[in-house]
Amino acid sequence: MTHPYTTRLSAPPSGAPHPLRRVIGLFAAILFLAAAAADARWERIPEAVALLDGAEPRAGALELDLPTVTQNGSSVPLTVRFPESRGENETVEALYIFAPGNPSPEVAEFSLTPALGNGELSTRIRLNQSQPVVALARTRSGDWLAGTREVRVTVSGCITANQDNDANAMQPRARASQRVRTGQLVDVRTLIRHPMETGLRERDDGTVVPERIIQSFEARRNGETILSARFHRAVSANPYLLFHVDPRTAGGTLELTWTEDTGESASATVEVPSAP
Amino acid sequence: MKHGAFNRRNALKLMGTGGLGLLFGGAAVRGSASSRSGRVVVVGGGFGGATAAKYLKRISPGLDVTLVEPAKRYYTCPFTNLYLGGLREFESLGHGYDELRDRYGVRVVHAMAKDIDVSGKKVVLEDGSELPWDRLVLSPGIDFRWGALEGYDEAASQKAPHAWKAGPQTHLLRRQLEAMEDGGTFILVAPENPYRCPPGPYERVSMIAHYMKTHKPRSKVLLLDAKDVFSKQGLFQQGWRDNYGDRIEWVGRSDDGRVMRVDADKLEVETEFGTIHKADVLNVVPPQKAGIIAERAGVTDETGWVPVDPATFRARRAEDIYVIGDATEAAPMPKSGFVANSQAKAVARAIAAELAGLDPIAEPGWANTCYSVIAPDYGITVANVYEVHDGELREVPGSGGVSPMEATPAFRSREAAYAEAWYAAIAQDTWGTRPA
Repeated sequence: MTHPYTTRLSAPPSGAPHPLRRVIGLFAAILFLAAAAADARWERIPEAVALLDGAEPRAGALELDLPTVTQNGSSVPLTVRFPESRGENETVEALYIFAPGNPSPEVAEFSLTPALGNGELSTRIRLNQSQPVVALARTRSGDWLAGTREVRVTVSGCITANQDNDANAMQPRARASQRVRTGQLVDVRTLIRHPMETGLRERDDGTVVPERIIQSFEARRNGETILSARFHRAVSANPYLLFHVDPRTAGGTLELTWTEDTGESASATVEVPSAP
Repeated sequence: MKHGAFNRRNALKLMGTGGLGLLFGGAAVRGSASSRSGRVVVVGGGFGGATAAKYLKRISPGLDVTLVEPAKRYYTCPFTNLYLGGLREFESLGHGYDELRDRYGVRVVHAMAKDIDVSGKKVVLEDGSELPWDRLVLSPGIDFRWGALEGYDEAASQKAPHAWKAGPQTHLLRRQLEAMEDGGTFILVAPENPYRCPPGPYERVSMIAHYMKTHKPRSKVLLLDAKDVFSKQGLFQQGWRDNYGDRIEWVGRSDDGRVMRVDADKLEVETEFGTIHKADVLNVVPPQKAGIIAERAGVTDETGWVPVDPATFRARRAEDIYVIGDATEAAPMPKSGFVANSQAKAVARAIAAELAGLDPIAEPGWANTCYSVIAPDYGITVANVYEVHDGELREVPGSGGVSPMEATPAFRSREAAYAEAWYAAIAQDTWGTRPA
């Protein structure tokens, strides 16, 4: 079977562009524009439009690592990578994640300091259906970056029965890699046991389990906040966050605090090795 | 369909709708399609490949079909857990190719396919000889991503077996279990999705708990999992409690079950948040990818698996190459032997239709049935039917499900018997093996 796009075209003897080539060039241009438009998903998310306030983000500048297909929408691993920065002004100070196909599009927001070394962030999110996941980031100089990734979801993640009991809720864990390699960031893994009730789940008797989530996370060093996060209900149960710290400038003890929407909080500490 | 419109094309459409159609339509096309010729090479003689070769010949006896499989006797990964538990003899999991060769006229070549010449349309065997094809079917199963889990490479698997392919690894694990002192700890490390046989790790710990209950009653099982949810979870956990009390401990990802590093010499593993677990027998199911020959054919993507056109299972990255079984990205279909067998039949129909110059199958369909044996008289199952909807594979709504949570011991016992019958039936369908 021959596909149209595998058909080879020969140029006319004059060397002038084959008329078909021009047509194909036009098609290519249209395809390019279509691809650019497909990436501009934030334009259809009112919360993102409000955030940008007229600014035009650099599409494709953020790299989103997500599975192409997931069979468990209740816990989809997500990693966001930032473009390499030439100097502190180009490092990211704010990151916003959206899932526009969810009942509410906001997933999480992060406020980042240079102590994080512009390193990647990983978490686990809920996706209600197949949809694009959109990330927007603002650099310290005020530039906006964007990234989009389509995910196919075969089992919805928002009303999946929660098998957790609350016995272990609010128990935190944290660990920093103790191996420091020259020029590399140290990874810090954090997790707290929590049901992250979406407020969408019904009990057998038809009553709705009220929303109850971990709303914020903060990492402090010497009393100064180096990372803060706002979680929405689309962050998976047992919120997981992997971030990085620059061991040349930010080694030492990190104090971590998770706060529930009830106001209750839990904390932990983690030792980040220092590097010269 | 109107009466009287029962021609070849409609027969093929009908065949695409499911198993009944297959049996019926297979006979209907035989007469006319047998005059067509074409060379089809099938690489891999497991559930997918053996079924594809057989059904190609059943549908179009005139096709020249060659099956490439190194083993003269193929041992199935399904039911190796029952061997480990002491419920089956290993030899009962072996199947030959006599029926494919003698009854269906498949040419069986016992050699390893070393490379695929895509543009020249040839399979290159390890001795350098070549098999030309008009259509190629790859059913290569899985290979392991050695080193993707720190400390776990091929050498480490000689001390901490994976036993995720039937053969020497299965025997090694069995010998280690037999040599273990009573009171020892067996640890199984389960991977993140996707991997071969989603319920496999959970059936394995069930069967090992059964072995312990009968031979080493003071021993324990620890299952360290990179996932928070798994296949037939509620049924497995209930079955573990019913049959083994607290002998099996499952630790999910959010309780620090995700293993990040393996030390095969010390039989130790280290989890994401730094807990060290020491085993007496360590069974690591490592991260996986499509069988290596799929990489050689250039049909895998960055995930390591093979993206396929959902209606035909033609590889997205090559013309005239079809891929089936565990190697494919076919979610929500699981990587199971039954699915490979089901995909093989659909691919045989698609290739037979194409080589006969007929329209593609209008509405292809697939099915899956997975039995898991928790104890000798305690079985559970999951079943589903799949279709293409809006250009993507999906479960037919309401088509399947799992065993009920509330069931009598007699019900569970019947499902264990059905599991044995399931194995006998699919082995007969795939290799022609008659039940002993």
